[in-house]
Amino acid sequence: MSAGALGDQPLARAAPSGVRGRPRWRSVVTVSAIALYVLGTYGLAHGTLYIQGLVLVAAVFAVLAVSLDLVAGVLGLYSLGHAGLFALGAYATTLLYTNHGWNLFVLLPVCVVGVGLVGLILGALSLRVSGLYFAITTFVFTLLLTAFASDLSWTGGFGGLVGPIFPHFSSGLNWLGASLIWCCMAVLLVAILISLALRRSPLYPVLLAIRDAEPFAAAAGARTARVKICMFGLSAAMAGAAGWVFSFQGIVSPGQFNGPVAVNILVMVILGGINTTLGPVIGAAFISIFPVEVAINPFWQEVLFGGLFIAVIVAYPAGFVGFLTMLGRRARDRLRAGSTVAQGRPAAAVSEPAGRRLAPTEIASVEAAAREGAAHPEAVPLAIEQSPRSPAPAGGGALAVECRGINFAYTRGTPVLIDVDFVVRQGTIHGLIGPNGSGKSTLVDLIAGRLRPMSGTISLDGKRLERDGAPARARHGFMRTFQAAVLVRELSASENVSVGYYTRIPRLAMRAAAWPILPGTRREAGALREHSATALRFVAAGQWADARVANVPHGVEQLTQLAAACVAGPKAVILDEPLAGLSPTEVEHMASILSELKSAGVSVILIEHQPRFVFALCDEVTVLDAGEVVVSGPAAEVRTNDRVREVYLGQ
Amino acid sequence: MSAANGNALEISSLFAGYGRYDVVRDIDLHVATGEAVALLGPNGAGKTTVLRAIMGLVKDRRGEIRVGGVDLTRLPAHRIARGHAALVPEGRRLFLNQSVEDNLILGALHLRSDQSRVKRLLASVYELFPVLLELRRRPSSALSGGQQQMVAIGRMLMSDPAVLLLDEPSLGLAPLAIDGVADALIKLREQGRSLLLVEQRVDLALRVCDRVYVLAGGEIALEERADAVDAEGRSLINAYLG
Amino acid sequence: MLQVLLSGLAIGAIYGLVGMGFAIGFYVTRVINFAEGQLLMVAVMVAAAIARAGVSPVIGIVGGIAAASLAGVVTYLVAIRPVLIFNRFSFAWLVSTLGVGLILENLAAIIWGSTSTSFPTLLNGTSVHIGNATLSLQELVTIGVAIAMAIVFELIRKRTLLGKVGMAVALDPEMASAVGVNTTAVAVAAFALAGLFAGVAGVLIGPITYSNPYLGETYGIAGFVALMIGGTERPVAAMVGGLILGILGQAANTVINTQASDWFPFVVVVVILLLLPEGLFSIRGTALRGLLRGVRRPSESAS
Repeated sequence: MSAGALGDQPLARAAPSGVRGRPRWRSVVTVSAIALYVLGTYGLAHGTLYIQGLVLVAAVFAVLAVSLDLVAGVLGLYSLGHAGLFALGAYATTLLYTNHGWNLFVLLPVCVVGVGLVGLILGALSLRVSGLYFAITTFVFTLLLTAFASDLSWTGGFGGLVGPIFPHFSSGLNWLGASLIWCCMAVLLVAILISLALRRSPLYPVLLAIRDAEPFAAAAGARTARVKICMFGLSAAMAGAAGWVFSFQGIVSPGQFNGPVAVNILVMVILGGINTTLGPVIGAAFISIFPVEVAINPFWQEVLFGGLFIAVIVAYPAGFVGFLTMLGRRARDRLRAGSTVAQGRPAAAVSEPAGRRLAPTEIASVEAAAREGAAHPEAVPLAIEQSPRSPAPAGGGALAVECRGINFAYTRGTPVLIDVDFVVRQGTIHGLIGPNGSGKSTLVDLIAGRLRPMSGTISLDGKRLERDGAPARARHGFMRTFQAAVLVRELSASENVSVGYYTRIPRLAMRAAAWPILPGTRREAGALREHSATALRFVAAGQWADARVANVPHGVEQLTQLAAACVAGPKAVILDEPLAGLSPTEVEHMASILSELKSAGVSVILIEHQPRFVFALCDEVTVLDAGEVVVSGPAAEVRTNDRVREVYLGQ
Repeated sequence: MSAANGNALEISSLFAGYGRYDVVRDIDLHVATGEAVALLGPNGAGKTTVLRAIMGLVKDRRGEIRVGGVDLTRLPAHRIARGHAALVPEGRRLFLNQSVEDNLILGALHLRSDQSRVKRLLASVYELFPVLLELRRRPSSALSGGQQQMVAIGRMLMSDPAVLLLDEPSLGLAPLAIDGVADALIKLREQGRSLLLVEQRVDLALRVCDRVYVLAGGEIALEERADAVDAEGRSLINAYLG
Repeated sequence: MLQVLLSGLAIGAIYGLVGMGFAIGFYVTRVINFAEGQLLMVAVMVAAAIARAGVSPVIGIVGGIAAASLAGVVTYLVAIRPVLIFNRFSFAWLVSTLGVGLILENLAAIIWGSTSTSFPTLLNGTSVHIGNATLSLQELVTIGVAIAMAIVFELIRKRTLLGKVGMAVALDPEMASAVGVNTTAVAVAAFALAGLFAGVAGVLIGPITYSNPYLGETYGIAGFVALMIGGTERPVAAMVGGLILGILGQAANTVINTQASDWFPFVVVVVILLLLPEGLFSIRGTALRGLLRGVRRPSESAS
């Protein structure tokens, strides 16, 4: 990539991934933090009983908050059922120990697995009811459990049960102090590490994609339903472990797991900082300790508490972590103040500027990149290079896509596609045009698996796939882009592109929770970064690799989507209006990218509106109007067809 | 209301966008009183953003937007809609949970203290679209696309604005309905209304409007009189593609 | 059987009023005001305080309702609007409205003490006999007022200009502002109403529960469940939801055992939500949404 007019990389800050050498620095910090944590635990284990009691409760709720954040912050599934899951762990431990003499340490995996299974069910529920109603249903789950716990005699009713006593260290280990503290802090550490591992694994961008733009994640091959259910199971397992620990603090009674508690856990997450590793911990600590420590009139203390809720969240909607981040940024800016030239340079490292406009130099650099890209095409993405396909023999060859007799309607009585046949030969660029409302996007959604046809067949590379969902298409090498903005705005371009590589990372979903400690993952992560980087360079957006998508121009977003579709070395890519919002230079650049893809043997299906572009670039063109195929064939023939001029150009 | 220089709408140096980047940059355009002007361009060029910026629906907008001497960039959206400008948005966005007449009445919200004027406006809408008179008690969700478009245009007219803004009124309509829309717009122009029409259908724009701007990549690429385009449609299409 | 029904209606009416308070606020702003229960409590405490000061109980009751309404508006302006301005889709209002609830509850405890005190009773303790069931006058009035308010609200919503404006804001706030609606003003009005409904519930239940600062918690949850049963499509459905909840609770109490009202209604709610994920009264809503999609779809592929 030639430097020249591109100058510095103005926005190459923000997102942490993709920078060489970073991981090592991060590991050092993590290990040091763990060491400090262990030291702190030692100190607490020798502290007063009073402090130990506080810490125990705070730690247990920290585990709960971390577990809730995994589904609420990362996946967007707001659950008010974690108090119920927590209760299940605590009650199960107490009852099985007290009434049946089970070994306490056996009960930990029992709780983890048992409550985890319940979590799988709740997760499955989230597929049926979403958003607010899911929160409500999980809330009712908690209320029901509390009600049963209060009413049934064998759960001890309102008074509850006396919890088991955690065994003390044997005399040889006495110097460690209170064993229960070590136990609960260990559980908390494991929870935090799991959260950290997930956030650092390549699964994290996929999870956020499921949260923000599920179609994008599905189109990349993620079986979103399965992932959601499993994450919920994991989250529930952690809540079960929290319950296990909690049972040792004395009493297990319904009032500790009721509706307000359920809401409180969510408050801890939001107040501390949703979708952060430590935010939930901070929030839990604050909410558990504040009421106890602020020793004023208990009523005024609650008033203050409530006031803090309002003040913090209104001023810093990103919670405490948001507040801390702002402080950190301000400190960093002040340190840099001397070395930054004011003119023509964007404000240093600010990722949330109030209304900073793209400076003329930056506009120029986007245009320059596009011009460069058009004039000197970059090499194709690594994956395509590694598995080249021979260009298709002219006028024949296998069919990449074969649709026969497609009928589709959204609501009965308004057919959108009527008996459509659509065939794309391998290794060609095939255009799909037609007036707005003609059904082009719908046809693409059907081919890509987002919708199912009412009748007809769809074969991709010879395999009948019309009954399968979008992830299956990706796994067969058929990737697509979307017309609307579907990327995860808070992640970098590179991270978004890595979502496209999902199908090529073996068993990612299963390994993500332990990612940093598994063998070979660092190499895999490095390879993934390379793939993302080459894919972005291929579309001449390499300089934006580490910029957050929220901060990149629209054209770069489109290119990033294209890179995500290409990164895994697809057989075919389906592009839904990739030119929307692009300047003429960028359009030319896009044409050269698509030609590159074709010479690498990738089939391209293209919906577009710009006739000159379509007819110049495409080998074959299909024209749709009001749900029916008007004409289909070689571009030159279609272009001079009278009906096409009439239908498409409105003449 | 018209400004001294005869322009119903005057936009100077408009920059507008969502989030960090401007979708449209340095836009200068004007609509003279009684003129119908088209804003053409490919998808994503920013045409809708221009209309939304005029209506105050885009948070990040800088520049000047003058209607009848008033700078709209200083007003919140609900004040703009009270007589300065009114919009038929893309996709119509009727209040589908209400009847046809309710939608129209809501359009005249800021005139509710002058019931006789509201009645007169209502009558003029029914005159423009007689079929709506029969349909006026029907829930608007039960109407066809073309009929809904009439309601949307009617709702816009009910606020008696200085400038009429329409965003792709032909979208998703059958050819017959499109003709109906075109006829209505021509009638409005003949009545001396000032129109800014965003369209994808070149033929419709040329039928209705006196002047045409082409927006591409967020900037004005071309300005021409409609009759100058008629002869050579090609020059317009070329402008589309830069 | 009849007794169950009538007693259930009486308590359900209260749930329904609180539920409608939740629903009206949600209808206009898509926010669940976690302090709604406390608005009920504010009415109760203020009314009781005014009456204790020797002023006529009628003024007390009016004052209580007004205070609740005002508290609703303040909640919106302080805890909801600032959060929505920043980001329409964040859940931060969960935290801030909870904060308001905490403040209201504890301020009440500070001002008036945390134990129950008496509440003015306007109606004497006479009972009415219907069939073989007995209902106190208070209960009868409660049912009547609640149903009347629900009907009046629905009539206003559908028939008056104010109501139509509200419906427009509920459906498409951006388009509403594009026809000249001041959406902030509408939201303020909505939360004033939310407070009003909770306040009326408070002064109706006051004679039975007496006044204490912690009323908000139980009635808040109950009102919330009423909202869930009815669905969020139309506020009036929350009243029906509340009545159903009340009857279910009474039935559970009578038929199963006295503690069944703790869990039985929730089981029913879960079943309802699993079968009809959007509440009981959203069947038409789903059709409406389908229609919207059918109408909007062509424009999705345009600029």
